[in-house]
Amino acid sequence: MPKDQHNICHSKTFETLYQMYAKDIRRFIFFKTQDIDKAEDILQDTFIKLWDNCGKVNYDKAKSFLYTVATNTFLNTIKHEKVVQKHQQSMTSQLSNESPEFIMLEKEFMEKLERTINSLPEKQKEVFLLNRIEKKKYKEIAEQLGISVKAVEKRMHSALLVLREHIGNV
Amino acid sequence: MKTKELHNENDSFLAQWLEGKLSDIELKKLVSESDYKSFLKIRKGLEVYDDLEGSTNASFAKIQDHISNKKGKVRNLNANHWFIGIAASVVLFFGLFTILGNDIVTIETNYGEQKTIALLDGSEVIINSKSTITFDENNWENDRTITLNGEAYFKVKKGSTFKVLTENGDVQVLGTQFNVNSVSDLFEVVCFEGKVSVQTNAEDYILLPTNTVRRINGNAIEKWDISESNPSWINGESSFKSVPLKYVISALESQYNIKINSDTINNTIIFTGSFTHESLNTALKTVFKSLQIQYFEKEKGNIYLSVK
Repeated sequence: MPKDQHNICHSKTFETLYQMYAKDIRRFIFFKTQDIDKAEDILQDTFIKLWDNCGKVNYDKAKSFLYTVATNTFLNTIKHEKVVQKHQQSMTSQLSNESPEFIMLEKEFMEKLERTINSLPEKQKEVFLLNRIEKKKYKEIAEQLGISVKAVEKRMHSALLVLREHIGNV
Repeated sequence: MKTKELHNENDSFLAQWLEGKLSDIELKKLVSESDYKSFLKIRKGLEVYDDLEGSTNASFAKIQDHISNKKGKVRNLNANHWFIGIAASVVLFFGLFTILGNDIVTIETNYGEQKTIALLDGSEVIINSKSTITFDENNWENDRTITLNGEAYFKVKKGSTFKVLTENGDVQVLGTQFNVNSVSDLFEVVCFEGKVSVQTNAEDYILLPTNTVRRINGNAIEKWDISESNPSWINGESSFKSVPLKYVISALESQYNIKINSDTINNTIIFTGSFTHESLNTALKTVFKSLQIQYFEKEKGNIYLSVK
């Protein structure tokens, strides 16, 4: 029955919605929190809320519901953190945007990075993706491609130089 | 010393740094301040890039965990003995499962398929191809109601009222044999035995054996008598009496799982006759030869019609 496919309370439909939007929402929240773990937490809370309200939320409105809940949950955690910080007044150095270790990743930066990776010369890209996405050591890549470890390292080195060049100063 | 060495081979120190063999401080000595900052950001970006692209399945598992734990929490408030809570939730779970799981039964047939269903009270339903029936099994003794989309033949055991609901109208009987065909805007009921009451939006009818009523696309109801003792499709044949061709075409489509393109012909011509369920070729020949329509199979399963 077509009606069932649009009932969020059906676990199948719920899962489909999750597969459809989870990555986007995690990404969306990450650029607000700059913290992938927090983004995961908020992602989970958001979908739990959707489940709790599955009877009330229209299937077509699910996307905007998810984004609204995610944003609100994010704002609430900020509020909560502020309370916690006030409470721990003794804390002298906190990791914040001003601290030197903190590196802010903007959405534009990430998009530029992805674009540049995709436009790398074929040989560099191959080595780069094997290393970054498939988590292979240089030695393994060298064996797989039948080239020397040195050659792999050279390609990685060049790839990083290309990235540096395209991304510019930060 | 080390710095110098790297400079000499100056082609791979970034790779070594990314792998962690070269520390940040060492890198800082090798490149300018702004390069250093950029590289740190690129590394962070790459780490996050992996995370952002990574699977979300772990989180989904946690969500499911959380959802099921939540139910547990609610019960904890009611009883301090948590094991009773668990026992109760198991019982509740299976209880719900049997109630909800078996509550509504839906039976569907595919292209060219027929199914015979025996109901709890001994009544029998034969479902023609590409049709669906739905009924509430638990409440069947009290409420013999079936929702039908498509065509089916009913042999009803005597007992309480037996109802067939369709989008085009409802059919109600006490104990009898009858055929209901409700495909899109075609609605046809034939009574083979007993007494059948038909309710449409406009009027109600009582059918006696061999009586047939039909309404097409909201036009006036047509009535006639038939001579068969059961619907022809049960015996592997679909029969039509003065039906616009488009309904015959859609019956062919649901019987043989094909697409028939009738754009270039007049599909409101009236057709009387039947086609077999045994062979598509024979069926096409019997329907379209008599109407002087040419047909050819352009691709597998796609049939095009044209006027001779």
